[in-house]
Amino acid sequence: MMQDVDFAYSDGTVALRRINLGINKGDFVAIMGQNGAGKTTLIRTLNGLLRPTNGTVFLDGQDISNKTIANLSQKVGIIFQNPMHQLFSNTVEEEINFSLKSLDISKEEIKSRINTILKQFDFIRYRERSPFNLSGGESKKLAIASIVCRNPDILVFDEPTLGQDEKEINFIINLLNSEITKGKTIIIVTHNIEFTMEYIPRTVLMRGGQIVADGPTEYVLTNQNLIKNTSMVLPYIQQFKIALQQVGINIPDEIFKKQDVIEYLSEYLKNYSLDVKEGSN
Amino acid sequence: MSLEFLNAFKFLKRDTFLHNLDPRSKLLFALIYTVGALLFTEIIPLTFLFISLIPIILSGRLLNKWIKSLRGLSFLYILIIILNTLFIPENGFSFAIAMVLRISIMVSAFSVFFLTVDPNDLALSLISMKVPYEFAFSFSLAFRFVPTISIEAQNIIDAQQSRGYEMKKSGIINQIKNLFPLLVPLIIGSIKRAFNVAEALESRAFGSNKDRTFYFSIKYSYKDWIFTIYLLVMLFLLIFIRIEFNSMPSWFSWGFPL
Repeated sequence: MMQDVDFAYSDGTVALRRINLGINKGDFVAIMGQNGAGKTTLIRTLNGLLRPTNGTVFLDGQDISNKTIANLSQKVGIIFQNPMHQLFSNTVEEEINFSLKSLDISKEEIKSRINTILKQFDFIRYRERSPFNLSGGESKKLAIASIVCRNPDILVFDEPTLGQDEKEINFIINLLNSEITKGKTIIIVTHNIEFTMEYIPRTVLMRGGQIVADGPTEYVLTNQNLIKNTSMVLPYIQQFKIALQQVGINIPDEIFKKQDVIEYLSEYLKNYSLDVKEGSN
Repeated sequence: MSLEFLNAFKFLKRDTFLHNLDPRSKLLFALIYTVGALLFTEIIPLTFLFISLIPIILSGRLLNKWIKSLRGLSFLYILIIILNTLFIPENGFSFAIAMVLRISIMVSAFSVFFLTVDPNDLALSLISMKVPYEFAFSFSLAFRFVPTISIEAQNIIDAQQSRGYEMKKSGIINQIKNLFPLLVPLIIGSIKRAFNVAEALESRAFGSNKDRTFYFSIKYSYKDWIFTIYLLVMLFLLIFIRIEFNSMPSWFSWGFPL
Protein backbone atom coordinates (compact mmCIF):
# COMPACT_ATOMS: atom_id res chain seq x y z
CA MET A 1 0.00 0.00 0.00
CA MET A 2 1.20 3.52 -0.73
CA GLN A 3 0.18 6.42 1.45
CA ASP A 4 0.65 10.03 0.30
CA VAL A 5 3.78 9.10 -1.63
CA ASP A 6 5.72 11.86 -3.36
CA PHE A 7 8.94 11.38 -5.27
CA ALA A 8 11.25 13.93 -6.88
CA TYR A 9 14.51 13.19 -8.71
CA SER A 10 17.67 15.05 -7.71
CA ASP A 11 17.35 17.41 -10.69
CA GLY A 12 14.03 18.58 -9.24
CA THR A 13 11.71 16.64 -11.56
CA VAL A 14 8.65 15.64 -9.56
CA ALA A 15 7.71 12.12 -10.68
CA LEU A 16 5.08 11.15 -8.10
CA ARG A 17 2.57 13.38 -6.32
CA ARG A 18 0.38 12.28 -3.43
CA ILE A 19 0.07 8.67 -4.52
CA ASN A 20 -2.45 6.67 -2.50
CA LEU A 21 -2.77 3.14 -3.76
CA GLY A 22 -3.91 -0.07 -2.12
CA ILE A 23 -3.17 -3.42 -3.73
CA ASN A 24 -4.30 -6.61 -1.99
CA LYS A 25 -2.75 -10.05 -2.09
CA GLY A 26 -3.80 -11.85 -5.29
CA ASP A 27 -4.72 -8.65 -7.15
CA PHE A 28 -3.94 -8.38 -10.86
CA VAL A 29 -3.40 -4.71 -11.70
CA ALA A 30 -2.32 -2.74 -14.75
CA ILE A 31 -0.62 0.63 -14.38
CA MET A 32 -1.14 2.73 -17.47
CA GLY A 33 -0.55 6.28 -18.62
CA GLN A 34 1.41 8.33 -21.09
CA ASN A 35 5.22 8.47 -21.14
CA GLY A 36 6.55 10.37 -18.14
CA ALA A 37 3.39 9.75 -16.10
CA GLY A 38 5.43 8.18 -13.28
CA LYS A 39 4.61 4.49 -13.84
CA THR A 40 8.18 3.19 -13.73
CA THR A 41 9.08 5.47 -10.82
CA LEU A 42 6.08 4.12 -8.93
CA ILE A 43 7.12 0.48 -9.30
CA ARG A 44 10.70 1.30 -8.31
CA THR A 45 9.48 2.50 -4.93
CA LEU A 46 7.96 -0.93 -4.26
CA ASN A 47 11.27 -2.68 -3.56
CA GLY A 48 13.20 0.31 -2.27
CA LEU A 49 15.17 1.10 -5.44
CA LEU A 50 13.76 4.59 -5.02
CA ARG A 51 12.79 5.93 -1.62
CA PRO A 52 9.81 8.34 -1.51
CA THR A 53 10.65 11.94 -0.70
CA ASN A 54 7.39 12.03 1.30
CA GLY A 55 4.84 9.45 2.36
CA THR A 56 5.12 5.76 3.14
CA VAL A 57 5.11 2.47 1.25
CA PHE A 58 3.78 -0.50 3.20
CA LEU A 59 4.38 -4.15 2.40
CA ASP A 60 2.35 -6.73 4.32
CA GLY A 61 1.26 -3.86 6.56
CA GLN A 62 4.85 -2.89 7.43
CA ASP A 63 6.61 0.35 6.55
CA ILE A 64 9.46 -0.53 4.15
CA SER A 65 11.51 2.65 4.69
CA ASN A 66 14.11 0.91 6.87
CA LYS A 67 14.26 -2.35 4.88
CA THR A 68 17.06 -3.10 2.43
CA ILE A 69 16.56 -3.67 -1.30
CA ALA A 70 17.95 -7.19 -0.88
CA ASN A 71 15.36 -7.91 1.77
CA LEU A 72 12.46 -6.40 -0.18
CA SER A 73 13.49 -8.14 -3.42
CA GLN A 74 12.65 -11.48 -1.83
CA LYS A 75 9.02 -10.38 -1.71
CA VAL A 76 8.83 -8.05 -4.69
CA GLY A 77 10.33 -9.19 -7.99
CA ILE A 78 10.58 -6.49 -10.64
CA ILE A 79 11.12 -7.55 -14.24
CA PHE A 80 12.60 -4.60 -16.09
CA GLN A 81 11.73 -3.52 -19.61
CA ASN A 82 15.15 -4.22 -21.11
CA PRO A 83 16.26 -7.81 -20.47
CA MET A 84 19.79 -6.95 -21.56
CA HIS A 85 20.20 -4.97 -18.33
CA GLN A 86 20.12 -8.24 -16.38
CA LEU A 87 21.85 -10.89 -18.45
CA PHE A 88 25.57 -11.42 -17.96
CA SER A 89 26.28 -15.12 -17.31
CA ASN A 90 27.90 -17.64 -19.65
CA THR A 91 24.86 -19.90 -19.89
CA VAL A 92 21.10 -19.75 -19.41
CA GLU A 93 21.41 -22.14 -16.46
CA GLU A 94 23.99 -19.92 -14.72
CA GLU A 95 21.76 -16.91 -15.25
CA ILE A 96 18.95 -18.59 -13.30
CA ASN A 97 21.46 -19.84 -10.73
CA PHE A 98 22.64 -16.26 -10.06
CA SER A 99 19.11 -15.23 -9.08
CA LEU A 100 18.78 -18.15 -6.69
CA LYS A 101 22.18 -17.85 -5.00
CA SER A 102 21.12 -14.90 -2.87
CA LEU A 103 18.16 -16.82 -1.42
CA ASP A 104 18.74 -18.78 1.74
CA ILE A 105 18.06 -22.19 0.17
CA SER A 106 20.01 -25.45 -0.13
CA LYS A 107 22.00 -26.52 -3.21
CA GLU A 108 19.48 -29.30 -3.90
CA GLU A 109 16.64 -26.81 -3.76
CA ILE A 110 18.54 -24.51 -6.19
CA LYS A 111 19.06 -27.42 -8.60
CA SER A 112 15.44 -28.45 -8.40
CA ARG A 113 14.20 -24.88 -8.95
CA ILE A 114 16.52 -24.46 -11.95
CA ASN A 115 15.13 -27.64 -13.54
CA THR A 116 11.53 -26.65 -12.86
CA ILE A 117 11.97 -23.16 -14.29
CA LEU A 118 13.89 -24.37 -17.36
CA LYS A 119 11.04 -26.80 -18.07
CA GLN A 120 8.32 -24.22 -17.39
CA PHE A 121 9.94 -21.70 -19.73
CA ASP A 122 10.88 -24.30 -22.34
CA PHE A 123 14.58 -23.55 -21.89
CA ILE A 124 15.85 -27.13 -21.41
CA ARG A 125 17.32 -27.09 -24.93
CA TYR A 126 19.01 -23.72 -24.25
CA ARG A 127 20.44 -24.77 -20.90
CA GLU A 128 24.08 -24.44 -22.04
CA ARG A 129 23.51 -21.61 -24.47
CA SER A 130 24.85 -18.10 -23.89
CA PRO A 131 22.06 -15.67 -22.97
CA PHE A 132 23.53 -13.32 -25.57
CA ASN A 133 22.73 -15.78 -28.34
CA LEU A 134 19.01 -15.78 -27.58
CA SER A 135 16.48 -13.87 -29.66
CA GLY A 136 14.89 -10.69 -28.25
CA GLY A 137 11.75 -12.56 -27.16
CA GLU A 138 13.72 -15.39 -25.58
CA SER A 139 15.97 -12.93 -23.71
CA LYS A 140 12.85 -11.33 -22.28
CA LYS A 141 11.57 -14.77 -21.27
CA LEU A 142 14.89 -15.51 -19.56
CA ALA A 143 14.76 -12.21 -17.67
CA ILE A 144 11.23 -13.14 -16.51
CA ALA A 145 12.39 -16.66 -15.58
CA SER A 146 15.26 -15.25 -13.51
CA ILE A 147 12.76 -13.39 -11.33
CA VAL A 148 9.93 -15.96 -11.27
CA CYS A 149 12.39 -18.64 -10.02
CA ARG A 150 12.86 -16.57 -6.84
CA ASN A 151 9.17 -17.12 -6.11
CA PRO A 152 8.36 -13.60 -4.85
CA ASP A 153 4.86 -12.86 -3.53
CA ILE A 154 4.55 -9.83 -5.79
CA LEU A 155 5.57 -9.87 -9.45
CA VAL A 156 5.99 -6.53 -11.18
CA PHE A 157 6.42 -6.44 -14.95
CA ASP A 158 7.56 -3.34 -16.84
CA GLU A 159 6.20 -3.54 -20.40
CA PRO A 160 6.16 -7.35 -20.68
CA THR A 161 4.53 -7.40 -24.12
CA LEU A 162 6.82 -4.82 -25.74
CA GLY A 163 8.50 -6.29 -28.83
CA GLN A 164 6.97 -9.73 -28.25
CA ASP A 165 5.33 -11.78 -31.01
CA GLU A 166 1.94 -13.47 -30.57
CA LYS A 167 3.40 -16.78 -29.39
CA GLU A 168 5.49 -15.02 -26.77
CA ILE A 169 2.54 -12.91 -25.63
CA ASN A 170 0.47 -16.09 -25.26
CA PHE A 171 3.24 -17.57 -23.14
CA ILE A 172 3.20 -14.50 -20.90
CA ILE A 173 -0.60 -14.70 -20.58
CA ASN A 174 -0.39 -18.36 -19.52
CA LEU A 175 2.39 -17.55 -17.07
CA LEU A 176 0.39 -14.69 -15.54
CA ASN A 177 -2.69 -16.91 -15.17
CA SER A 178 -0.66 -19.64 -13.52
CA GLU A 179 0.96 -17.17 -11.08
CA ILE A 180 -2.45 -15.69 -10.26
CA THR A 181 -3.84 -19.14 -9.42
CA LYS A 182 -0.87 -19.59 -7.05
CA GLY A 183 -2.13 -16.51 -5.19
CA LYS A 184 0.58 -14.13 -6.41
CA THR A 185 -0.03 -10.40 -6.73
CA ILE A 186 0.74 -9.12 -10.21
CA ILE A 187 1.36 -5.53 -11.24
CA ILE A 188 1.94 -4.72 -14.89
CA VAL A 189 3.16 -1.44 -16.30
CA THR A 190 2.09 -1.31 -19.91
CA HIS A 191 1.07 0.84 -22.86
CA ASN A 192 -0.70 -2.12 -24.44
CA ILE A 193 -4.34 -1.14 -23.99
CA GLU A 194 -5.69 -4.16 -25.91
CA PHE A 195 -3.77 -6.54 -23.67
CA THR A 196 -5.00 -4.78 -20.53
CA MET A 197 -8.61 -4.68 -21.74
CA GLU A 198 -8.58 -8.38 -22.49
CA TYR A 199 -6.72 -9.84 -19.53
CA ILE A 200 -6.24 -7.47 -16.58
CA PRO A 201 -9.26 -6.86 -14.32
CA ARG A 202 -8.08 -3.64 -12.60
CA THR A 203 -6.43 -0.58 -14.09
CA VAL A 204 -4.68 2.33 -12.43
CA LEU A 205 -4.35 5.28 -14.78
CA MET A 206 -1.63 7.88 -14.20
CA ARG A 207 -0.93 11.35 -15.50
CA GLY A 208 1.73 13.85 -14.44
CA GLY A 209 2.79 11.75 -11.45
CA GLN A 210 -0.74 11.37 -10.12
CA ILE A 211 -3.34 8.64 -10.17
CA VAL A 212 -6.29 9.92 -12.19
CA ALA A 213 -8.37 6.72 -12.16
CA ASP A 214 -8.34 3.39 -10.40
CA GLY A 215 -11.01 0.76 -10.94
CA PRO A 216 -12.30 -2.12 -13.05
CA THR A 217 -10.58 -2.06 -16.45
CA GLU A 218 -13.88 -2.08 -18.38
CA TYR A 219 -14.85 1.23 -16.77
CA VAL A 220 -11.47 2.97 -16.72
CA LEU A 221 -10.43 2.16 -20.29
CA THR A 222 -13.83 2.87 -21.83
CA ASN A 223 -14.09 6.35 -20.36
CA GLN A 224 -13.47 8.56 -23.38
CA ASN A 225 -12.51 11.67 -21.39
CA LEU A 226 -10.01 9.83 -19.24
CA ILE A 227 -8.44 8.12 -22.24
CA LYS A 228 -8.19 11.38 -24.16
CA ASN A 229 -6.64 13.22 -21.20
CA THR A 230 -3.95 10.58 -20.83
CA SER A 231 -3.00 10.67 -24.53
CA MET A 232 -4.23 7.15 -25.19
CA VAL A 233 -6.58 5.68 -27.75
CA LEU A 234 -9.72 3.74 -26.84
CA PRO A 235 -9.35 -0.05 -27.16
CA TYR A 236 -10.35 -1.36 -30.61
CA ILE A 237 -13.18 -3.34 -29.12
CA GLN A 238 -14.63 -0.19 -27.53
CA GLN A 239 -14.25 1.73 -30.81
CA PHE A 240 -16.05 -1.17 -32.52
CA LYS A 241 -18.86 -1.06 -29.95
CA ILE A 242 -19.24 2.70 -30.48
CA ALA A 243 -19.39 2.18 -34.25
CA LEU A 244 -22.07 -0.48 -33.81
CA GLN A 245 -24.01 1.82 -31.48
CA GLN A 246 -24.14 4.38 -34.28
CA VAL A 247 -25.94 1.85 -36.51
CA GLY A 248 -28.32 0.90 -33.75
CA ILE A 249 -26.64 -2.16 -32.25
CA ASN A 250 -26.13 -1.62 -28.52
CA ILE A 251 -23.80 -4.04 -26.82
CA PRO A 252 -24.16 -3.91 -23.03
CA ASP A 253 -21.27 -2.39 -21.00
CA GLU A 254 -20.53 -5.65 -19.18
CA ILE A 255 -19.61 -7.24 -22.51
CA PHE A 256 -16.16 -5.86 -23.36
CA LYS A 257 -13.89 -8.81 -24.14
CA LYS A 258 -13.27 -9.76 -27.77
CA GLN A 259 -14.69 -13.28 -27.52
CA ASP A 260 -17.77 -12.12 -25.57
CA VAL A 261 -18.50 -9.43 -28.15
CA ILE A 262 -18.20 -11.98 -30.99
CA GLU A 263 -20.60 -14.34 -29.20
CA TYR A 264 -23.06 -11.54 -28.46
CA LEU A 265 -22.98 -10.37 -32.06
CA SER A 266 -23.42 -13.83 -33.57
CA GLU A 267 -26.39 -14.36 -31.27
CA TYR A 268 -27.75 -10.93 -32.22
CA LEU A 269 -27.29 -11.54 -35.94
CA LYS A 270 -28.97 -14.96 -35.67
CA ASN A 271 -32.09 -13.28 -34.27
CA TYR A 272 -31.78 -10.52 -36.82
CA SER A 273 -31.70 -12.91 -39.79
CA LEU A 274 -34.65 -14.81 -38.25
CA ASP A 275 -36.57 -11.52 -38.10
CA VAL A 276 -35.79 -10.90 -41.76
CA LYS A 277 -37.02 -14.39 -42.72
CA GLU A 278 -40.19 -13.97 -40.69
CA GLY A 279 -40.75 -10.54 -42.21
CA SER A 280 -40.33 -11.87 -45.77
CA ASN A 281 -42.86 -14.60 -45.23
CA MET B 1 24.00 2.77 -4.87
CA SER B 2 23.54 5.80 -7.00
CA LEU B 3 25.60 6.95 -9.93
CA GLU B 4 24.25 10.46 -9.63
CA PHE B 5 27.75 11.87 -9.15
CA LEU B 6 28.32 11.19 -12.88
CA ASN B 7 25.83 14.00 -13.53
CA ALA B 8 28.56 16.29 -12.24
CA PHE B 9 30.25 15.76 -15.62
CA LYS B 10 27.16 16.37 -17.74
CA PHE B 11 27.04 19.53 -19.86
CA LEU B 12 24.45 22.05 -18.73
CA LYS B 13 23.77 25.07 -20.92
CA ARG B 14 24.10 28.35 -19.00
CA ASP B 15 24.94 31.94 -19.74
CA THR B 16 28.06 32.58 -17.66
CA PHE B 17 31.59 33.85 -18.33
CA LEU B 18 32.95 30.31 -18.18
CA HIS B 19 30.23 28.79 -20.39
CA ASN B 20 30.73 31.46 -23.04
CA LEU B 21 34.45 30.87 -23.39
CA ASP B 22 35.76 29.04 -26.44
CA PRO B 23 36.15 25.25 -25.85
CA ARG B 24 39.83 25.52 -26.85
CA SER B 25 40.61 27.93 -24.02
CA LYS B 26 38.79 25.61 -21.59
CA LEU B 27 40.75 22.64 -22.92
CA LEU B 28 43.95 24.62 -22.33
CA PHE B 29 42.70 25.38 -18.81
CA ALA B 30 42.12 21.67 -18.06
CA LEU B 31 45.51 20.70 -19.50
CA ILE B 32 47.48 23.45 -17.71
CA TYR B 33 45.89 22.66 -14.36
CA THR B 34 46.63 18.96 -14.92
CA VAL B 35 50.27 19.72 -15.75
CA GLY B 36 50.44 22.08 -12.74
CA ALA B 37 49.11 19.33 -10.46
CA LEU B 38 51.65 16.85 -11.83
CA LEU B 39 54.56 19.25 -11.24
CA PHE B 40 54.29 19.11 -7.45
CA THR B 41 54.15 16.53 -4.69
CA GLU B 42 54.10 19.14 -1.91
CA ILE B 43 50.94 20.21 -0.10
CA ILE B 44 51.38 24.01 -0.17
CA PRO B 45 51.76 24.62 -3.94
CA LEU B 46 48.98 22.10 -4.64
CA THR B 47 46.72 23.86 -2.12
CA PHE B 48 47.35 27.20 -3.87
CA LEU B 49 46.58 25.63 -7.21
CA PHE B 50 43.41 24.06 -5.79
CA ILE B 51 42.27 27.37 -4.25
CA SER B 52 42.92 29.17 -7.55
CA LEU B 53 40.26 26.93 -9.13
CA ILE B 54 37.50 28.20 -6.85
CA PRO B 55 36.92 31.66 -8.43
CA ILE B 56 36.83 30.00 -11.89
CA ILE B 57 34.25 27.46 -10.67
CA LEU B 58 32.21 30.22 -9.03
CA SER B 59 32.24 32.25 -12.25
CA GLY B 60 30.49 29.33 -13.97
CA ARG B 61 27.99 28.85 -11.08
CA LEU B 62 29.16 25.26 -10.77
CA LEU B 63 29.82 25.04 -7.04
CA ASN B 64 27.18 22.35 -6.25
CA LYS B 65 28.09 20.14 -9.20
CA TRP B 66 31.80 20.48 -8.42
CA ILE B 67 31.27 19.48 -4.78
CA LYS B 68 29.21 16.50 -5.98
CA SER B 69 31.97 15.36 -8.33
CA LEU B 70 34.55 15.53 -5.53
CA ARG B 71 32.21 13.78 -3.10
CA GLY B 72 31.84 10.95 -5.62
CA LEU B 73 35.56 10.30 -5.25
CA SER B 74 35.52 10.10 -1.45
CA PHE B 75 36.09 6.32 -1.52
CA LEU B 76 39.19 6.81 -3.67
CA TYR B 77 40.47 9.53 -1.32
CA ILE B 78 40.10 7.27 1.70
CA LEU B 79 41.91 4.48 -0.15
CA ILE B 80 44.77 6.82 -1.15
CA ILE B 81 45.16 8.13 2.40
CA ILE B 82 45.12 4.67 4.02
CA LEU B 83 47.47 2.99 1.51
CA ASN B 84 50.00 5.83 1.37
CA THR B 85 50.05 6.32 5.13
CA LEU B 86 50.55 2.61 5.71
CA PHE B 87 53.05 1.79 2.98
CA ILE B 88 55.20 4.92 2.61
CA PRO B 89 57.64 4.89 5.50
CA GLU B 90 58.47 8.63 5.58
CA ASN B 91 55.83 11.42 5.48
CA GLY B 92 53.26 9.00 4.03
CA PHE B 93 50.29 11.00 5.31
CA SER B 94 51.60 14.28 3.84
CA PHE B 95 52.21 12.57 0.52
CA ALA B 96 48.69 11.08 0.63
CA ILE B 97 47.14 14.52 1.21
CA ALA B 98 49.21 15.91 -1.66
CA MET B 99 47.97 13.10 -3.92
CA VAL B 100 44.36 13.77 -2.88
CA LEU B 101 44.88 17.44 -3.78
CA ARG B 102 46.51 16.45 -7.09
CA ILE B 103 43.57 14.21 -8.07
CA SER B 104 41.07 16.84 -6.92
CA ILE B 105 42.72 19.49 -9.11
CA MET B 106 42.73 17.24 -12.18
CA VAL B 107 39.14 16.04 -11.64
CA SER B 108 37.97 19.61 -10.98
CA ALA B 109 39.67 20.95 -14.11
CA PHE B 110 38.13 18.29 -16.34
CA SER B 111 34.80 18.48 -14.52
CA VAL B 112 34.70 22.23 -15.35
CA PHE B 113 35.59 21.38 -18.95
CA PHE B 114 32.86 18.73 -19.35
CA LEU B 115 30.26 20.81 -17.52
CA THR B 116 30.76 23.89 -19.66
CA VAL B 117 31.60 22.57 -23.13
CA ASP B 118 28.78 21.65 -25.49
CA PRO B 119 29.67 18.35 -27.28
CA ASN B 120 28.99 20.00 -30.65
CA ASP B 121 31.41 22.84 -29.89
CA LEU B 122 33.98 20.30 -28.80
CA ALA B 123 33.91 18.68 -32.25
CA LEU B 124 34.21 22.10 -33.91
CA SER B 125 37.15 23.09 -31.75
CA LEU B 126 38.96 19.85 -32.52
CA ILE B 127 38.38 20.38 -36.23
CA SER B 128 39.78 23.89 -35.94
CA MET B 129 42.90 22.28 -34.44
CA LYS B 130 43.20 20.24 -37.67
CA VAL B 131 41.93 17.00 -36.13
CA PRO B 132 40.21 14.97 -38.93
CA TYR B 133 36.42 15.28 -38.81
CA GLU B 134 35.88 11.53 -38.25
CA PHE B 135 38.04 11.58 -35.11
CA ALA B 136 36.59 14.85 -33.84
CA PHE B 137 33.06 13.54 -34.34
CA SER B 138 33.84 10.22 -32.62
CA PHE B 139 35.34 12.07 -29.67
CA SER B 140 32.37 14.39 -29.27
CA LEU B 141 29.99 11.43 -29.66
CA ALA B 142 31.77 9.52 -26.89
CA PHE B 143 31.56 12.64 -24.76
CA ARG B 144 27.83 12.94 -25.44
CA PHE B 145 27.16 9.34 -24.42
CA VAL B 146 28.57 9.70 -20.89
CA PRO B 147 25.18 10.63 -19.35
CA THR B 148 23.43 7.91 -21.41
CA ILE B 149 25.85 5.31 -20.08
CA SER B 150 25.40 6.57 -16.54
CA ILE B 151 21.60 6.17 -16.85
CA GLU B 152 22.08 2.69 -18.30
CA ALA B 153 24.49 1.73 -15.50
CA GLN B 154 21.89 2.84 -12.94
CA ASN B 155 19.22 0.74 -14.68
CA ILE B 156 21.54 -2.28 -14.63
CA ILE B 157 22.21 -1.83 -10.92
CA ASP B 158 18.45 -1.58 -10.28
CA ALA B 159 17.69 -4.66 -12.41
CA GLN B 160 20.35 -6.75 -10.67
CA GLN B 161 19.35 -5.58 -7.21
CA SER B 162 15.80 -6.66 -8.00
CA ARG B 163 17.02 -10.22 -8.16
CA GLY B 164 18.99 -10.19 -4.96
CA TYR B 165 22.31 -8.74 -6.14
CA GLU B 166 24.15 -7.05 -3.29
CA MET B 167 26.42 -4.13 -4.02
CA LYS B 168 28.68 -4.49 -1.00
CA LYS B 169 30.65 -7.68 -0.51
CA SER B 170 33.55 -8.36 1.80
CA GLY B 171 37.01 -9.21 0.42
CA ILE B 172 38.74 -7.77 -2.64
CA ILE B 173 38.26 -10.92 -4.80
CA ASN B 174 34.54 -10.96 -4.01
CA GLN B 175 34.28 -7.26 -4.78
CA ILE B 176 35.93 -7.76 -8.18
CA LYS B 177 33.73 -10.79 -8.94
CA ASN B 178 30.77 -8.70 -7.88
CA LEU B 179 31.43 -6.22 -10.68
CA PHE B 180 30.71 -8.77 -13.43
CA PRO B 181 26.88 -8.58 -13.21
CA LEU B 182 27.19 -4.82 -13.76
CA LEU B 183 30.06 -4.58 -16.23
CA VAL B 184 29.06 -7.35 -18.66
CA PRO B 185 25.60 -5.91 -19.52
CA LEU B 186 27.07 -2.39 -19.60
CA ILE B 187 29.90 -3.30 -22.00
CA ILE B 188 27.71 -5.43 -24.23
CA GLY B 189 25.05 -2.70 -24.30
CA SER B 190 27.68 -0.09 -25.19
CA ILE B 191 29.13 -2.22 -28.01
CA LYS B 192 25.63 -2.81 -29.42
CA ARG B 193 24.89 0.90 -29.23
CA ALA B 194 28.16 1.71 -30.98
CA PHE B 195 27.22 -0.62 -33.87
CA ASN B 196 23.73 0.87 -34.06
CA VAL B 197 25.10 4.42 -34.13
CA ALA B 198 27.66 3.44 -36.80
CA GLU B 199 24.93 1.90 -38.97
CA ALA B 200 22.67 4.92 -38.48
CA LEU B 201 25.52 7.25 -39.47
CA GLU B 202 26.44 5.22 -42.52
CA SER B 203 22.83 5.12 -43.64
CA ARG B 204 22.94 8.94 -43.55
CA ALA B 205 26.04 8.96 -45.80
CA PHE B 206 28.51 9.87 -43.08
CA GLY B 207 31.93 10.60 -44.56
CA SER B 208 30.74 10.61 -48.18
CA ASN B 209 32.13 14.08 -48.79
CA LYS B 210 35.52 15.24 -47.50
CA ASP B 211 34.77 18.97 -47.83
CA ARG B 212 31.88 19.55 -45.53
CA THR B 213 30.32 22.72 -44.15
CA PHE B 214 29.26 23.47 -40.58
CA TYR B 215 26.04 25.04 -39.37
CA PHE B 216 27.66 26.55 -36.26
CA SER B 217 31.05 28.21 -35.90
CA ILE B 218 33.21 29.04 -32.88
CA LYS B 219 35.30 32.13 -32.30
CA TYR B 220 38.26 32.92 -30.04
CA SER B 221 37.16 36.21 -28.44
CA TYR B 222 39.16 38.78 -26.45
CA LYS B 223 37.86 37.10 -23.24
CA ASP B 224 39.46 33.86 -24.41
CA TRP B 225 42.76 35.66 -25.03
CA ILE B 226 42.69 37.19 -21.53
CA PHE B 227 41.96 33.76 -20.04
CA THR B 228 44.72 32.17 -22.16
CA ILE B 229 47.28 34.78 -21.07
CA TYR B 230 46.32 34.19 -17.43
CA LEU B 231 46.77 30.42 -17.91
CA LEU B 232 50.14 30.78 -19.67
CA VAL B 233 51.47 33.19 -17.01
CA MET B 234 50.36 30.72 -14.37
CA LEU B 235 52.04 27.85 -16.19
CA PHE B 236 55.36 29.72 -16.44
CA LEU B 237 55.10 30.67 -12.78
CA LEU B 238 54.48 27.05 -11.79
CA ILE B 239 57.41 25.80 -13.89
CA PHE B 240 59.63 28.51 -12.37
CA ILE B 241 58.61 27.51 -8.84
CA ARG B 242 59.32 23.85 -9.66
CA ILE B 243 62.80 24.61 -11.05
CA GLU B 244 63.67 27.01 -8.25
CA PHE B 245 61.87 25.06 -5.56
CA ASN B 246 64.95 24.81 -3.33
CA SER B 247 65.32 28.60 -3.25
CA MET B 248 61.67 29.10 -2.25
CA PRO B 249 60.79 29.95 1.39
CA SER B 250 60.91 26.89 3.64
CA TRP B 251 57.12 26.94 4.31
CA PHE B 252 56.63 25.99 0.64
CA SER B 253 57.68 22.45 1.46
CA TRP B 254 55.68 22.23 4.69
CA GLY B 255 54.07 18.88 5.42
CA PHE B 256 52.41 17.00 8.25
CA PRO B 257 54.84 15.37 10.66
CA LEU B 258 53.49 11.95 9.58
